[in-house]
Amino acid sequence: MTRSLKGWPSWVLLVLVVGGLLAVGASRDAGARSPKERVEDISHRLACPICDGESVFESRNADSQAIRIEIARQVDTGTVSDDQIINFIEQRFGSKVLLVPRATGIDALVWALPVAALVCAIVGLGVAFHRWKTVADTIPDDADRQLVAVALANDDDSDDEL
Amino acid sequence: MIEPVLPERTGRRIAPFVSLAVALVVAALFVVLASGKASKPDVTSSFLTGKPAPAVSSTTLDGQAFNLARRKGSWVVLNFFQSTCLPCKAEHPELVSFVAQQAGISDGAELYTIIKDDSDDAVVKWFADHGGDWPIVKDDNGAIATAFGVAKVPETWIIDPSGIVVVRHATTITAEFLSTELQRLRQAYG
Repeated sequence: MTRSLKGWPSWVLLVLVVGGLLAVGASRDAGARSPKERVEDISHRLACPICDGESVFESRNADSQAIRIEIARQVDTGTVSDDQIINFIEQRFGSKVLLVPRATGIDALVWALPVAALVCAIVGLGVAFHRWKTVADTIPDDADRQLVAVALANDDDSDDEL
Repeated sequence: MIEPVLPERTGRRIAPFVSLAVALVVAALFVVLASGKASKPDVTSSFLTGKPAPAVSSTTLDGQAFNLARRKGSWVVLNFFQSTCLPCKAEHPELVSFVAQQAGISDGAELYTIIKDDSDDAVVKWFADHGGDWPIVKDDNGAIATAFGVAKVPETWIIDPSGIVVVRHATTITAEFLSTELQRLRQAYG
């Protein structure tokens, strides 16, 4: 069995493990949330409209407090989703209150660029591995050595003639 | 003499393309940044413009009920105010002047001050010292400010007699601007 065939089970295992972890992570359900947990989750996704670098959840100013109250009011109705509540706040205060960028328009670059970088890195690694393999295949065998010996002998003969 | 055969250098072939791709990405980024508009605060547009005003209610400082939906039939001007805000203080004489102008018009607009994150006592003192006898509406939980998306003051809104939001002005305002704007809106409203 060649070296390349010996190595494939470990690669398959690695792919299976990574794929399994991604599947579990993507579909993980923490169960039903209480209204308080929903309010906290939503307020973590919104930025305080008048301060820098603070979420509505963290900020203690009156505007963030008013937004938390509005979130709680809408959560208590039980008829609107988290995204609908976030849309409501965004429509009034603008997209600057979104802490998690949208996946549309120029904001989508935030999501697309890391994926593109990952793909480039994987392709780069693939090219690098291929080059190392190419170099490994150029280790001289007996025929190469014989060729070099003949060439050197010819070279010696040429020197003698001089 | 036999020339040695060297392995083909893949990297040398790829390097120009990689360099070109990186240069293109950097150039595209430069174009995007250079052609992008400078970020300026938008002081006029709002999601609510052209839509029914939020159904907000509260009480005034003198204990009267305030229900915006019940103001239909009148032109309503809402001014979000804080007594510690310098631009709010600066525009106050303009509002006093505006109210005086509207008092002489048959369908004059109603002005309401909405207290934005301030104590009632401070606002009462400000009005006592600087004039202004229009209704002052409490907004204890910030519900009115949140419904309109008001984060910074001063901010002034005009609502037409049908209860539709027609103007948002998120900076200081003058009596002349308000009067002119209302006159234009009245003519358009018919």
